[in-house]
Amino acid sequence: MTLDWLDAFLITGLFEVVMVIGLALLLHLQLGLARIANFGVVGFWGIGMYVFGVLYVQVDWPFGEPWQFLACAAAATVVAGLAGLLVGWLVADLDTDGVLVGTLGFATAVQILATTQDDLTGGARGMGGLGFPYDIGRVKDNEFLWLVLVTAVVGAILLYVWRVHRSPYGRLLIAVGSNEPLARSLGKPTFRTKLWLFAVASAAMGFLGAMYGVMVRFLDVGNLGVGVTLAAMVGLVLGGTARVWGAVVGVVLTVGLFDIVIQSYLPLPREWYTQAIPVLREAAFGLTLMVVLLFRPLGLLGDMRRDRLMGKIHGR
Amino acid sequence: MVADVVRAAAGPRIHVRGAVKSFSGRVVVNVEDLVLGDRPIEGLIGPNGAGKTTLMRMIMHSTSLDRGRVSLLPPGGGEVVLSSLPAHRMARHGVVKSNQVIMDFDKLTIWDSLLLAVAESRYEQPQRILSERTVFARHEAEIRRHLDFFGFGDPSAFAMSAGEKKLLDIVRCLLLKPTFLLLDEPTAGLPDDLTEKVMTVVRELAATGTTVVIVEHDLNVIWNLCDEVHFMAEGSVILRGDPQSIREHRTVVEKYLGEGHV
Repeated sequence: MTLDWLDAFLITGLFEVVMVIGLALLLHLQLGLARIANFGVVGFWGIGMYVFGVLYVQVDWPFGEPWQFLACAAAATVVAGLAGLLVGWLVADLDTDGVLVGTLGFATAVQILATTQDDLTGGARGMGGLGFPYDIGRVKDNEFLWLVLVTAVVGAILLYVWRVHRSPYGRLLIAVGSNEPLARSLGKPTFRTKLWLFAVASAAMGFLGAMYGVMVRFLDVGNLGVGVTLAAMVGLVLGGTARVWGAVVGVVLTVGLFDIVIQSYLPLPREWYTQAIPVLREAAFGLTLMVVLLFRPLGLLGDMRRDRLMGKIHGR
Repeated sequence: MVADVVRAAAGPRIHVRGAVKSFSGRVVVNVEDLVLGDRPIEGLIGPNGAGKTTLMRMIMHSTSLDRGRVSLLPPGGGEVVLSSLPAHRMARHGVVKSNQVIMDFDKLTIWDSLLLAVAESRYEQPQRILSERTVFARHEAEIRRHLDFFGFGDPSAFAMSAGEKKLLDIVRCLLLKPTFLLLDEPTAGLPDDLTEKVMTVVRELAATGTTVVIVEHDLNVIWNLCDEVHFMAEGSVILRGDPQSIREHRTVVEKYLGEGHV
């Protein structure tokens, strides 16, 4: 396979875009349907990444690839899901402010733990030793294949979310977000519903974290800052929290525009790349969030159209 | 005129004992001992602020009790302590309530709202994302029967008017197949023909063994429909009897109806 036409920087940028689309889609289930403002996305993603990394590097596995990757990724997914269950249990019945503070606090705790438990995680020094579960040639080839695989995973998440909109489960999530006491009066276990939503979405976020760990092959606690949550949140809000394609459109227009077009194709001064660009990125995303919430709070794609959807699948 | 519903079998009853609820130090409900459901259709009337809606909410456990106990007494015997159950478990025991204030899911269409009410919990799991057709096929006929009866328009649209939302609330309750149905001002804001339809449905339900308790300010509904009426004032049920005797009772006239009504 000749990938000379493909810039290595572009592969990393595309991976970032696709991964954030995946996170934004999962956040869409929580925020867009069930109205749960999860500001701890990076915490669940980070748990997945670090559990994967620690198990992959620190444990002497009796079998080789791809089983080592699969075992570690499965463990990372389960642990992230359990973390979601625990956080969900603590915050699911709180109001929006409580959920926001609780999830943000959880993400901070994950970052602090990853930094302080340096005998396991490498702490601020970071941790190397991760690799692809295959070797098809050059690094660029391996990275490209990994990009294809994460695209397939995120495609599956997109398909799942699309189906959720057309299922009794999706309707239940919307009902919980729209009028929880009324949903309860219809016999719906709203607390349990939110709990499972937290668990399932967090597990998938953890899996994406593990995939990211493989892509970068070096775990850095700097990745556990607010950047990932902000990227998923801003992308989703810009596209439209209530629409399936909102996550895709919004993330392409934010992360895609900034991480690929601006960083790759604009003639920015060299010295900006180390310090200034990450800060500019967060500032630009924050500004986008404010502008969207002020002038188009439902995002570019607008509100969900259940009337159109129901008319299409069930008729009049 | 009293309905004189003849029911096929005795229905469930609800027993309220020593139930107290205060808001900001003011006692809103203080019911010593009350059994609802001795007769198929019972009414609960009283002036505004008497505590009727709060009592209904306490029965449903959507408002917690300061103290006391609310139990469901099924016709076959036994007792289910409703006041120790979470609110979402009420419907499973057949205890269902319509809402006084209009409540709706603003993001859901009429189809959605009714399919939500009927969908069994096994189809509402994160892994059951292909079960929409099954749920629709199982319940379409039943939902359409209700929609046709009440004259709903396009069910793929949102409920728009207050009356439509009120009816939707009632239909959701009916789809839950209640054995004990509490209706809190079910006909408020409805035109006469729809009020009549609601009364017809209530009579049919009662005839098949469902116990119905109605809170209503439209007293024609109470006098025409109920076999027994409870009169509530200042947080307590102070009188019960057949509609005629309640209607003419001195206390009810003084505290609620006024001389002109008699």
